[in-house]
Amino acid sequence: MHLLKKYVPVLMVLILFVISGCRSDIPVYHISEDIDFSYYKRVAVVPFDNLTNDKYADEIVRQVVVSELLASGLVDVVFPGEVKSAIAELGIKSVSTMTANQIKALCNALKVEALIVGAVEEYGEARMGNISAPQVTVSLMMADANTGSIVWSITKTRGGASFMARHFGARHETISETVLLLVRDSIRTLYRY
Amino acid sequence: MIDTVTRTRSYRSRIYAIVFFYLVILSAFGCSTNGMKQFIRPDYDIGSMKTVAVIPFRNFTADNFANEKIRSKVSIELLSRDINIIEPGEIISVMRELKIRSVDSMRNKDFVSMGNMLNVDAVITGAVETFGISKGITTSYPEVSVQLMMFETATGNIVWSTFQTSGGASFWTRHFGAEGSTLDNVSEMVVKEAFDSLFGR
Repeated sequence: MHLLKKYVPVLMVLILFVISGCRSDIPVYHISEDIDFSYYKRVAVVPFDNLTNDKYADEIVRQVVVSELLASGLVDVVFPGEVKSAIAELGIKSVSTMTANQIKALCNALKVEALIVGAVEEYGEARMGNISAPQVTVSLMMADANTGSIVWSITKTRGGASFMARHFGARHETISETVLLLVRDSIRTLYRY
Repeated sequence: MIDTVTRTRSYRSRIYAIVFFYLVILSAFGCSTNGMKQFIRPDYDIGSMKTVAVIPFRNFTADNFANEKIRSKVSIELLSRDINIIEPGEIISVMRELKIRSVDSMRNKDFVSMGNMLNVDAVITGAVETFGISKGITTSYPEVSVQLMMFETATGNIVWSTFQTSGGASFWTRHFGAEGSTLDNVSEMVVKEAFDSLFGR
């Protein structure tokens, strides 16, 4: 009994840390093993699909993807205005339903080695019990210019309030931080290749 | 003897209580960090930039004038760093002349033409992604996120790109109701931090 009393506070701290520990979601991603990613020097990020109720969610995430790709130093990125003009010139009506030939034509027009396409599946506040916290889900894909095939794809969710935020009022991420860290984590999966 | 043992136990309990309290406080500060990252083209000399055109920003917020508010903060920040800026009226007139309807449809060659017509070293544009009061779990706080991009007018290349966000309410605001910053202060801070990282001060 004496021993139990002695270790109860230590046990409480350990339990607290196990419950509240920094969460790390495992992203679902695919990467072509036989591709040398150092070949990709210049990419274009085409407009994303918006599967949310927020009318700007696609553009917000796209801007962050462009910014993070540039900041990663992995690739150079074409300015979105160039991409918009090229899409219009090629008469591509929907970027989410592009054929392999259209992907190749767009890459040729933009002089890029790959296209980044994506979709924003969730963007906003997710309600958990009596509290709500930002939650974002994004799918990204990279299509090769020569073959039109997908060489990298990832789907990742980030958000929600942690144990400490829910019970002790600890700091939780803002929606902008959630998007930024989600995109950064997604792009980081390319680093090792 | 019994008194000494009781005193030792009481001392230990106090130590545990203090350690526990500090751990809770540390956890309450949170372990997230957005760690700003930016892109600066390695061969571009930022110091050579003397005159810049700050063209209209894109607005992805519910505030219809958020882009203009941030654009004006960017202009003030550049002026405070002894960089000349072109009057917005001049920029609009050149954009009309070049038949540029919106910033998102601008091509690299448009930045070059604009640079020649306005006689500027660089063109800055961007997007305001969040601008308003966001609701947290226990408190509301101003939130501002901007993406800034700078183009070299000689080549039309992107020479600087950054995404900057303000973050949420501070520890003191969340727990003790301390007065937080205003939306205007936060937007000023976000723009200042972005340029601090570019100029290294």
